[in-house]
Amino acid sequence: MVHDNNLCIGCQACNVACRSENKIPDSVYRLQVWVKQEEYPNGSLGYEYHRQSCVHCENTPCVSVCPTKASHVNEDGIVLVDNDLCVGCLYCVAACPYQARYVHPVTKAPDKCTFCHESRLSRGEEPACVTVCPTEALVFGDLLDPKSKINKVLSERVTYRQKERLGTKPKMYIVPNHKGGINS
Amino acid sequence: MEQYNTVVWHWPIAVYLFLAGLSAGAIISAIVVKWMKGNDVSPWDGIIKAGAILAPVTIGAGLCLLIFDLTRPLMFWKLLIHYNFGSVMTIGVLALFAYMPVSILFLLGVFKKELAVDGPFKFLAPIADLALNYGKALEAITLVLAVGVGAYTGFLLSAMNSYPLLNTPVLPALFLASGVSAGISANLVVGLLFFTHSTKDANVSYLHGLDVKVIFAELFFIFILFVGMMYQGGATAHAGAAALGTGGLSTLLWVGVIGLGLLLPIGLNFALPHGVKHSHAFVIFNALIVLVGVLALRYYMLYAGQTFVG
Repeated sequence: MVHDNNLCIGCQACNVACRSENKIPDSVYRLQVWVKQEEYPNGSLGYEYHRQSCVHCENTPCVSVCPTKASHVNEDGIVLVDNDLCVGCLYCVAACPYQARYVHPVTKAPDKCTFCHESRLSRGEEPACVTVCPTEALVFGDLLDPKSKINKVLSERVTYRQKERLGTKPKMYIVPNHKGGINS
Repeated sequence: MEQYNTVVWHWPIAVYLFLAGLSAGAIISAIVVKWMKGNDVSPWDGIIKAGAILAPVTIGAGLCLLIFDLTRPLMFWKLLIHYNFGSVMTIGVLALFAYMPVSILFLLGVFKKELAVDGPFKFLAPIADLALNYGKALEAITLVLAVGVGAYTGFLLSAMNSYPLLNTPVLPALFLASGVSAGISANLVVGLLFFTHSTKDANVSYLHGLDVKVIFAELFFIFILFVGMMYQGGATAHAGAAALGTGGLSTLLWVGVIGLGLLLPIGLNFALPHGVKHSHAFVIFNALIVLVGVLALRYYMLYAGQTFVG
């Protein structure tokens, strides 16, 4: 997935669509957009939009530490939790450098963004956050298909990934704000 | 919002880390004493008896605490049948799988008379004999497993690159050293209080002297930990500086861990006259402050590690 900071307006429609699609309990979030005020060197002001959610790493700290393989990566490269195997040690919650996981208040197992894998993706639709985004700041698709829309976007826009120094290789690409510096 | 709190593991984990280190340290120091000339025959020295009891009891208590701290405690048995060999937690489960029985075997061998001859566990006599007949081999295996249990708790935390204070190669060494120190101290307290007549003064002085050396090693490991963070620069250096100087946690480090737990025992050891230093009351007092210091270290590392993320 691609999140374009220049198109995002911080409206939280993605957050709300995610909650409604995935029936997220009131106290927790799979997805939020954190809006941060920035001051540029010439004194003008602007906003930075951070998508706070699972970045679906290729080298997954959460999956590596899980003692029962409840945390796993499926064949599409999506990071998921198998509740039947989870004992609730919370090692994955602690090990995630992106704070993408929370304890589900009902199942007591860690829960997280699944790219709507269990619902919309299986019906051939895009994740709820992507569909609802009014500015098309989110682009979703198959990274392995050179002809996919996401690979077109990745070839045309400058992108970076969060905390790249950790070697996690997220599959969440950020198009940085065209103004100011990048805080990766 | 609670879900974005970086502190995921709470005090029961700190107590478990303390108990696991103590258990490993207790059986390591008991075996070291048992292997010394003159100690390898029954009646066993009080230190050996103390270690034989403490090791299985403390690890058992720690594991109970750990299971009840899971968010889904009734599912804990899945840990025993599903493995991920890339996870330190699985390696820990397997190490404990082997460590629990050998530590109980060691207990049976040392307390054969009390448990299997005069006591209620007469059916265990053949197993106690086995533990005694193959004592050296059993102890060698136990020693290796105990080092594994003592160090794995450090690897468990250092495996997470989300926490700069924990993600450091010196942590397993620090935890093993402080675990040995806690084990020695607990053995001294239990040996001197409950097995007063069978605890030889020579063994008490030997272990007490060994403890002082281990404490110097711990101080050096803590020094390496923070200097290493400074040299890494950036967010890691920031987290290190914050962990050394922010809030109640840094007070706990300086006063509880370093002051009370490490410097005071070293200071008293050099300052006090020989007669006082070798009195049982002083050795017990000294051991108790060391134990408080090691518990404070585990608590500090767990909370500061998860709090100061750079």
